[in-house]
Amino acid sequence: MALRKDANTLTSSERRELVNAILQLKADGIYDRFVLRHANANMMSIHRCPAFLPWHRRYLWDLEQELQRVSGNPNLGIPYWNWPSGAENASMWNDDLLGGNGNTQGIVTSGPFRQGQWQVVNSSGVASGPLRRQFGQGTSRNLPTVAELEQLLQTTPFDSSPWNMRSEPSFRNRLEGWLSNSGPAYHNLGHVWVGGSMLPMTSPNDPVFFMHHCMVDKLWHEWQLRLPNQSYQPLSGAPFGQNQNDPMSNTPAASIGRRPADVLDSTAIGIEYDQLLPGTPNPTPTPEPLRGTPLTIDTGPITAQISRPGEHDLYRIVVPRFAEYVIETSGNSDTFMTLFGPNSTLNEITRNDDGGVNLNSKITLNLSAGTYYADIRLYSSAAIGEYAISVTSAAEETSTPQLTVDAPATSAAISVRNESDIYRFNVTRRAYHTIETTGPTDTYLSLFGPNDETLLIQEDDDSGSVYNSRIRRILSVGEYYARVRHYSSAATGSYAISVSRR
Amino acid sequence: MSSRQLTYKNHTIVIENGHLFIDQKEIEYELDHERQKWSSWYLPYTQYDSLGELAKAIIVDTDEFNA
Ligand SMILES: [Cu+2]
Repeated sequence: MALRKDANTLTSSERRELVNAILQLKADGIYDRFVLRHANANMMSIHRCPAFLPWHRRYLWDLEQELQRVSGNPNLGIPYWNWPSGAENASMWNDDLLGGNGNTQGIVTSGPFRQGQWQVVNSSGVASGPLRRQFGQGTSRNLPTVAELEQLLQTTPFDSSPWNMRSEPSFRNRLEGWLSNSGPAYHNLGHVWVGGSMLPMTSPNDPVFFMHHCMVDKLWHEWQLRLPNQSYQPLSGAPFGQNQNDPMSNTPAASIGRRPADVLDSTAIGIEYDQLLPGTPNPTPTPEPLRGTPLTIDTGPITAQISRPGEHDLYRIVVPRFAEYVIETSGNSDTFMTLFGPNSTLNEITRNDDGGVNLNSKITLNLSAGTYYADIRLYSSAAIGEYAISVTSAAEETSTPQLTVDAPATSAAISVRNESDIYRFNVTRRAYHTIETTGPTDTYLSLFGPNDETLLIQEDDDSGSVYNSRIRRILSVGEYYARVRHYSSAATGSYAISVSRR
Repeated sequence: MSSRQLTYKNHTIVIENGHLFIDQKEIEYELDHERQKWSSWYLPYTQYDSLGELAKAIIVDTDEFNA
């Protein structure tokens, strides 16, 4: 569990614990890896888009795991920068936590992250000088007030087409800061107000980045608690990586998944805040009354019937850990399945009509731990009939398949929508390498490495034959990762992949 | 064909046929037509009133060019 507190209220021992943990991660090179994960992400995949909020929620969660590990405190949470009381004189800027404003050249010269003690890295990971801050230099606006936070929290829906910086109305876009004609630029304003190292894509170089985004995340959490009938958008129709069940860009595998769907419930992923705004209801540990017939994993099908035209049956599935699950019906009825969750009967994940045998429905999907609800009806609202339903977990997750340089191509398929296949391969001497797909599918290839599954090197859609992908470039010695997905998040198809030294 | 070149804080900015180069490195940017604002991957939280202003901000505010 991570307990997130107002940074201004941390005691001196809490400050010491947090600062030491950050300095330890910096010394181990882990902190800079976080900087690069942000800096090297495709900007349009993590900013100015719906995934802005879930991407940063997962990113904070990952840093929190590291802080907890090195501090030995399993409840250590990233404190939040409470903007209304966080201006220049706030105690979070004291030398026992963040240190203060930069000097006349913008250089931070006091506190644990001062010149000589802390180096920022550029987007190639190269140390490039001291941390810089220039409070209030880039903007004439003050940090948001409590009244302005209240205003923000009334904005609906979560997001809207065209899913970018022009989306309006959009809670995400207002919070991110692109709708600032009628209020502050909330998130963007925080970056600009601090200035200096908080302006470029390498902004996580300043530890206040995490406290700033913790405030952003808290506001999303409060919005979710206040408006339980609103949900993440979109389910589909936005670029790959933005839809609720797409894996997000530059987000590694972990014990929680990498899709927006996996981080929608802060409480479920172990986050707790010391205080919420007065109008926000507290999260309840069991947000939904237990509804539906329990359906246990891997225990064989249970039979049921739709005995009245238009009847729906609801099933409750408790998922213990992140893995791939198959929910399907069998029998002679034309069933239709809609899956909701996690921990909500309102939040639709996906629906299926005839993905199973004959006219049965079938959903194959990676699910994070949590409670899910499968709604079954018959395709025709006039029909009645029997069916059986089961949920099975896919075989133990296998380790990443390995490609060998200059070996024959490996055949594979994108068999469910949104699937992405990851391969690893070793480069033993520096040379031109060609990674390419062949076959009838419009593949999209991403290359990561060396020795880091999250460091994106290059992406390609159609440089291969017809709609296949091809990346040719010089690779130095190391381990690399190739990720293959379908260009369309809605389509499936077979392909083969190979790596060769030419 | 339009081309404009200026030097700013010892860096060369070239704007040629809608392409932006700083020290000969091409800089990808986005134009928000509706608001007539320019922005770039380098500075994800801000927009600028012209390509030239964007280029100057990249020189001043990023560790790639400011180091
Ligand atoms: Cu940010």
